[in-house]
Amino acid sequence: MKRSQDRRAAWTAGAVLLLLAVTAAAAPLLTPYVPDGIDLANRRAAPSFAHLFGTDELGRDVLTRTLFGARISLVIGLLAAAVTAVVGVTIGAVSGYVRGWIDNALMRLTDAMLSVPRLPLLMIAAAIFEPSVPALIILIGLAGWMETARIVRAEFLSLKEQTYVDAARAVGMQPVRIVVRHLLPGAAPAAVVAATLAVGRAIMLESAMSFFGVGIQPPQPSLGNMLYQAQTSMSTEPWLAFFPGMFIFLTVLTVYVVGADLGARELR
Amino acid sequence: MFRFVVRRVVQAVPLLVLISVLVFALIHAAPGGPLEMYLANPNVRPEDIERLRVALGLDRPITEQYLAWLKGFIVGEWGYSFTDGRPVLERLLERLPATLELIASAVLVAALAALPLGVFGALKKGGWLDHTTTVVSFAGISLPVFWVGLLLQLVFAVALGWLPSSGRASFGDGDLTDRLSHVIMPAIVLAAVHAAAWSRFLRSSMGTAVQQRFILAARARGIHERRVVWRHALQNALLPFVTVLMMDAAIMVTGAVITESVFAWPGLGSLFTEALARRDYTVLMAFLMMTSAAVVFLNLAADVLYHILDPRVSVR
Amino acid sequence: MTEVRRCVWFLATALIAAAGWVACGSDVGAAGPSNDLLIVGYDREPDLLNRFSTHILEDIHSCVIEGLTTTDENMNVIPVLATEVPTLTNGGVRLRADGGMDVIWKLRPNVAWHDGTPFTAADVKFTVEALNDPNYNPESTDGFDRIESVDTPDSLTAIVHYREIYAPYAIQFFRGTFPKHVLEGRDIDRAIDYNRNPLGTGPYRVAEWKTGEYILLERVPNYWRGTEYPKIRRLMFKFVANTNTRINQLRSGEVHVVALVPWDKAREVRETEGITLHRLVGNSYEHVTLNQREFAPFRDVRVRQALVHAIDRELIVNTILDGLAPVIHGPIQPPSWAFTDEVRHYPYDPGRASELLDAAGWRDADGDGIRERDGRPLSFTLITQAGYAIRENVAQTLQRQFRDVGVAMQIRMIDGTAISSLWFEGKFQAMLHWWHMPSDPEITLFFAKDRIPPAGRNINYIENDSLTALLYASDRTVDVDERRSLLWEAQRLLAELVPEIPLYNVTRLDAVPVNLLNFRGNPTNTGIFWNVHEWEIR
Repeated sequence: MKRSQDRRAAWTAGAVLLLLAVTAAAAPLLTPYVPDGIDLANRRAAPSFAHLFGTDELGRDVLTRTLFGARISLVIGLLAAAVTAVVGVTIGAVSGYVRGWIDNALMRLTDAMLSVPRLPLLMIAAAIFEPSVPALIILIGLAGWMETARIVRAEFLSLKEQTYVDAARAVGMQPVRIVVRHLLPGAAPAAVVAATLAVGRAIMLESAMSFFGVGIQPPQPSLGNMLYQAQTSMSTEPWLAFFPGMFIFLTVLTVYVVGADLGARELR
Repeated sequence: MFRFVVRRVVQAVPLLVLISVLVFALIHAAPGGPLEMYLANPNVRPEDIERLRVALGLDRPITEQYLAWLKGFIVGEWGYSFTDGRPVLERLLERLPATLELIASAVLVAALAALPLGVFGALKKGGWLDHTTTVVSFAGISLPVFWVGLLLQLVFAVALGWLPSSGRASFGDGDLTDRLSHVIMPAIVLAAVHAAAWSRFLRSSMGTAVQQRFILAARARGIHERRVVWRHALQNALLPFVTVLMMDAAIMVTGAVITESVFAWPGLGSLFTEALARRDYTVLMAFLMMTSAAVVFLNLAADVLYHILDPRVSVR
Repeated sequence: MTEVRRCVWFLATALIAAAGWVACGSDVGAAGPSNDLLIVGYDREPDLLNRFSTHILEDIHSCVIEGLTTTDENMNVIPVLATEVPTLTNGGVRLRADGGMDVIWKLRPNVAWHDGTPFTAADVKFTVEALNDPNYNPESTDGFDRIESVDTPDSLTAIVHYREIYAPYAIQFFRGTFPKHVLEGRDIDRAIDYNRNPLGTGPYRVAEWKTGEYILLERVPNYWRGTEYPKIRRLMFKFVANTNTRINQLRSGEVHVVALVPWDKAREVRETEGITLHRLVGNSYEHVTLNQREFAPFRDVRVRQALVHAIDRELIVNTILDGLAPVIHGPIQPPSWAFTDEVRHYPYDPGRASELLDAAGWRDADGDGIRERDGRPLSFTLITQAGYAIRENVAQTLQRQFRDVGVAMQIRMIDGTAISSLWFEGKFQAMLHWWHMPSDPEITLFFAKDRIPPAGRNINYIENDSLTALLYASDRTVDVDERRSLLWEAQRLLAELVPEIPLYNVTRLDAVPVNLLNFRGNPTNTGIFWNVHEWEIR
């Protein structure tokens, strides 16, 4: 009884997150407009039945753009988290299993990456590459693997000391098999928690990069660049900033609540 | 103890060199250079640009430029700003107090918010208060900083007129109240992100502390519950909390980049955005090295502090 | 539980009390503008106050350092430290038989630097020599490098000998001069005292520069125009880089003046009590550069003409720009004496655009909505500077309107520095941008065929012999009427060739207090402070 109560928040958050994701995925079915449908005769229209979230500076439907923007933002969040997880787990696993100078070199690189402030680094990096969706996914993903690598390495170090690993080694199991069969599953829960949190962080980083104009390029909407463009009209057309802002808020909030719940279970 | 500190400091040196290579390469890989800003002026001709490029040493090979920079950096000659010709160190130091003021205020705000949220969360795990604090604390990290910042400005400065919209002080330096009224909004915005993480952290370390044997013993001896919580459990949980606080304070410089830009705060963050826009290489390098070094050394300090305060942790 | 509750209440009360204390205690309503203090919200901190070394607009500088001439709100060149503008008619300009020319500057008597040292012709001579000294790195030596020498027959006369005829001579010294007695024999690049707090002759001097926050100017006691000038005692330039924050400060009364208000912020500023928007047609124009070298189809004049016909510029101006800036048809702007509107116009006409593209061989054969020729689609990328909401909106509208006639255009936003390096090397296909145009109508740098990068700014890569000849002829003509007719012909030719797509005039909006007298604005890079000595709060 107590346990189910404990997790009510997480279940609610999970349900809301799922709803948001499904809405975004089904965007083309839910709205009669296209995201770049410019209608200069109908600019800055307040929310109405025709345009539930109003229209923007170019007369485009804000609801449509929010949903399509959420798609991009969610894709960036998920895939960047995947990049983070893959790179982090690989580096952590190699480091934790092989030890020696490779471990040392990899961990110093991790320390170095952790020490350089992340947003300034991303801002410089974004100036080098053409800001496309794949480029942003890779950049944001590469900016966050360090925590995962450390966690996985620590898990590996402690798991390696355990008797069943010794036993596996004693019966002549191949190192790769030991890693895949015994060590990785052991480190997986911690890595999953880290990856969940990385989704939320990636969405926030995309919006921060948009603030400096180096995020997703127009006319493609992302929640971040919509907010960025809405800055100028926050006091005259508040709906332009409100709806994408709420979407980011709800998405990231629910991701974090679910992630924290997974993390709490993991600790027990 | 002494040997431990020395060893850690020595380890930090190659780390910083590695960072400098990474950062130098990245900055110079970014398109454009310090001379491009001149192009906005129609009187500036290609021959002017070429003349400046040679004069500023930007025509030399990149490795040569790096080695020259590294040599200068080690002996304390950090060079001159490409923008205004003043020594880089002078430009950074004059911005430092503002950033420290903002970060100190933000740490204070975040700690004040995180303490009750974390403690009550830990005491009543699963209760309505715990759920509320969880949601409230996550809300802080789920809103884009610039969005919240502009919203606060519109409400408290433009609509209500209670607080100044931005800047560090009114003209003439202002008194304490004036300075507080300037710092409060940026500090809250900057604090929001960390308050959430800190309250989560405190909640879990308080949770652990409450379960510990000596706390149970204290309870068993009939010590009042309030005293148990505030004196014993909190004191125990505070130690790791303070170390996290120190490490995050260094990271706040990053968050300050956006906050300072939105609130026209005259600190290192706005210096960075300005220097990046003008590709002021020397200033960018010095800024990134200084912030990275701050992270490295605050981490180190946190470790050392941990060892001093908690004798149970072995120095090895 | 009661324990917990009590603590929550305590904290809540404490927080509210603290907020209340701060809110009540602070005097936020801030003093309005007065003759004691006028606060200007400024978009960036200057790098240096040395007018020859800085690379940003010289608004603050121009309050301290005065030129021999300046340009007024109608772009006329007017004398400041000179007694008159030298011309052929008044004998101030002499054309030499060897093809060079001499300009005779008569200086105003009884003008002193702020430290009391008299301002003389020796300062003019020193300035020219300093700028031509290879050891000093000024931002630009344009014009100065054509000067052979300067003679100073008396302390108030400077005769400048040019090697060749140089038409924009009248604004050669609009940045003023260096004080010889301060800078002689010094490394000016490292003269931080002068570069941060320059000695001038103007109505103000620098009282305080608080880096990252503001520059405070205060009036000088014995200004040469008379002790009644300037009327305003102190002028503060407050640095607020973020445009939205700057406008918020204006609305909350923390700053009194904001120059160059973006058009999409005009509605908010208009609603602000005590503030008026001063509108002035500017000397710059937003346009789309069509790079013929990087995208070969632009070499066909029919394609370029079709692209202009495809755009509804009136619609863009009346919606996105809220009707605040007029559509224009060429590079020379209405405030210039050389401007003419009697050139070919290209009204919005998608039908005509399609005909022209058909005629040029671009047809949509595969029915995907995009025209192609020899199997290659008519598709290019437009770059523009990130951070300008209006530009992003205009770019997206152009994209739509081009698409309607079967032309595909991609948009790429690029940060200011990176975009400079791209255009400087000509590495782009099309670019939406504007130039700061000098007040003199010298446009050779932008359109002459030998001025393609790296030798100039002809980034359309237009190579037309008659245009080049016309432009060089106009640069070497000092007589105004003769020069005007040459430039009119050049403008007509440019309208036929359409090397670039002119969109609209960069019309200045300056937000100033309603009770500010004698504010006149300025369409050029001279800035709005050229007559700051007359400004007065009623």
